Amino acid sequence: MNSIEEQRGASPLSRFMAEEALGNGNGSHGKNGDYLGEVIESSTTEFVAESCELHGAPSFGRFVRVVSEVPIIGIVFNVFTQSIEPNRRPTAYGKTEEELRLEQPQIFELLRTEFQALVIGYVDDTGPVQTLPPQPARIHSFVYPCDDDEVRAFTRTDDYLRSILNTAKIPTDELVIATMRHTLRAHGRAAPYLVRMGKELARLLGDDYDRLSSIIRRVAY
Amino acid sequence: MKGKAIQNGRRGRRIGAVTRGSLVEGLEMKLDPEQNIEDMKAGKFVVIEGDKNDFFSMVTDMRLDANNQDVLLHPPAQEDALLRQVLSGTSTYNIVSLRPMLMMAKDAGDPELEGPRPVKAIPSHFSLVQEAEEEDVAKIFGREGDEQGKYFSIGTPLDMDTQVCIDTIRFAERSNGIFGKTGTGKSFLTRLALCGLIHFDKAVNLIFDMHNEYGFKAMKETGGSNSTFVKGLKQLFGPKVAIFSLDPQSTRARGMQPDYEVYISYDQISVEDIAPLQDELKLNPTAVESAYLVYAVYKDRWLRTLLALEGPDVEEFAREIGAHPGSLVALHRKLKRLESFPFMVSRLEGGDVVDRIMQYLDQGINVVLEFGQQTSMLSYLLVANIIARRIHEMYVKKSERFYATQRPEDQPRQLMITIEEAHKFLNPSAAKQTIFGVIAREMRKYYVSLLIVDQRPSSIDDEVLSQIGTRITALLNDEKDIQAVLTGVSGTEGLRSVLASLDSKQQALVMGHAVPMPVVIRTRNYDEKFYSDMGCLDELPEKERKEKVEADTVALFGEG
Repeated sequence: MNSIEEQRGASPLSRFMAEEALGNGNGSHGKNGDYLGEVIESSTTEFVAESCELHGAPSFGRFVRVVSEVPIIGIVFNVFTQSIEPNRRPTAYGKTEEELRLEQPQIFELLRTEFQALVIGYVDDTGPVQTLPPQPARIHSFVYPCDDDEVRAFTRTDDYLRSILNTAKIPTDELVIATMRHTLRAHGRAAPYLVRMGKELARLLGDDYDRLSSIIRRVAY
Repeated sequence: MKGKAIQNGRRGRRIGAVTRGSLVEGLEMKLDPEQNIEDMKAGKFVVIEGDKNDFFSMVTDMRLDANNQDVLLHPPAQEDALLRQVLSGTSTYNIVSLRPMLMMAKDAGDPELEGPRPVKAIPSHFSLVQEAEEEDVAKIFGREGDEQGKYFSIGTPLDMDTQVCIDTIRFAERSNGIFGKTGTGKSFLTRLALCGLIHFDKAVNLIFDMHNEYGFKAMKETGGSNSTFVKGLKQLFGPKVAIFSLDPQSTRARGMQPDYEVYISYDQISVEDIAPLQDELKLNPTAVESAYLVYAVYKDRWLRTLLALEGPDVEEFAREIGAHPGSLVALHRKLKRLESFPFMVSRLEGGDVVDRIMQYLDQGINVVLEFGQQTSMLSYLLVANIIARRIHEMYVKKSERFYATQRPEDQPRQLMITIEEAHKFLNPSAAKQTIFGVIAREMRKYYVSLLIVDQRPSSIDDEVLSQIGTRITALLNDEKDIQAVLTGVSGTEGLRSVLASLDSKQQALVMGHAVPMPVVIRTRNYDEKFYSDMGCLDELPEKERKEKVEADTVALFGEG
């Protein structure tokens, strides 16, 4: 699982930038343009999608959109790469990735990258809605990244933070931090927005001051 | 929702929302995070917008609070501005206590319900609280310049520039008090009040000016050696004010010719005038009884006769009239002090001063009685009691005649008597005996009221205090004094902290009959602008002065 801390080596923003830049190493997302993945498992609260490119999944904490009759918005909370077959596991070769691609290209065919996203809302006629959708995403639907405008539209209110905090079995604090960083960037890193998000968090985490201050510290880097 | 101010378009800035409270204890409001807690001052004027009524309220207390003790145990670092901002309004917040003073219906369907009324209801949860604006203040306190001359501006509310006016008619109707520690500007407040009464002609004043502050020039207490002089009542109002002096030399030395020199003859002093001096002269209670015995025989000449005696004759005399010798000797000895006063004479040449004063008062001319160098407590008490007692007698007669005839020309002019160091006249023991206690208790029956100026209101009799209609209070420290000033005025819970937090200069709390609700004011400046507002011509440039004189002449004598 990629966490924000591991990306802090380069500027933390470079990871986000990379995905949106066209023609970058992670570009050319498959036959239909910019889509990142295809849904292979789906439920009301979360879905799993296989990413088009190996290691080409959207970042942890990123907003993604599933295109369907009722577009569904989710936040990526888990990215994992593993072998196609459950019985065959990759072994260590002691060579760099470039060398392996030259010498043993077939091993990469046996790996695939998948990502799990938490469903936090959907879009209907009136605009983005921050509650669970009436129907889950359909299998084989395409998953696209949300651009800045979509993120801004969706985060006009801050109720989604509550959804993240209330979900079990996910790294909630880390996810909140990553999501908040993404939305902050989408809002142009405006200080008033940061304060507003912070206050909403303070309301939600009011009783746990340590947790609140830890999150605020890491969001603002 | 968050961050979006709800503007009604009519009023001042929103500062918070009502969170809890009760009618009896007052309301509490949570201050909006954008507002600075330091802007909330005790005594500040705010408006709570309820559903059907607006509540005009005063800030009485503020406090800091947090929803979680951990925040207070680990306060954010000084550099961590983001965390402090995030916490403010959510985990840490400011609570301001408000006391509603008046309520006003929003749409006056019923004409009877128009205008400010006493508070009988409270606003609902989360009612908007806004800063008060000019129209709010004008709606409640009126504006100077109405035809009746009812409203006189005495200052501005805290942090605002609009006028706060007292109702001069109501001010003149009852006795009033001006209180404050030494040096807080009571004389200025008194001067202001007197100017208001004189300028708008609501009452004629008799001022017992113990420290020579009101008649002519008075010194302004400014820092350092640069003290300037402010104009007195005579300079401001000219012919409407007459200066009577007990010490003409001193008055002349200060650059003013008194309009009348006051002398008192021994025959004018009655036994009732000696009674209030008991404390000052340290007389025995039996002394007064002895005095009555002398009076019984010699009537008006009792004091003259008593003082004419010397030494052992006094005891002899005591036995003659049946008085206790010891007490008469003590009385004699102590009353001998009166002979040393230069204004005590054995024969009056210029006529009775009290008659003269009465003449002036009848014509509507205000009288300032200066004491010059005669600033001893004894002379002050004696002269004030003598004159006040006889004036009061005359007023009682006039009033009774008016009640009988009901003719408007018989109606006596409302008289206000100003006394300083009022606790000497009105302490619990003296209040029963002095004429001032009587006047204070009678209220408006005989058209005489008091303006008492004092720095120890706790020494004044409770009953008298409760009859004081309007109180103008500068800073008071003593808990007992604060308690005393708040006696007998409704709706004063929560004003304690306001009183104790006043500035030591130029700030006062006004409450009572002449104002619809208690209000903290920054007192009106007693300066050139005030002089010209009061109609004093000295400072005006030549042209304007001529115009004004012409206008006044025409008004007085008609055209041509």
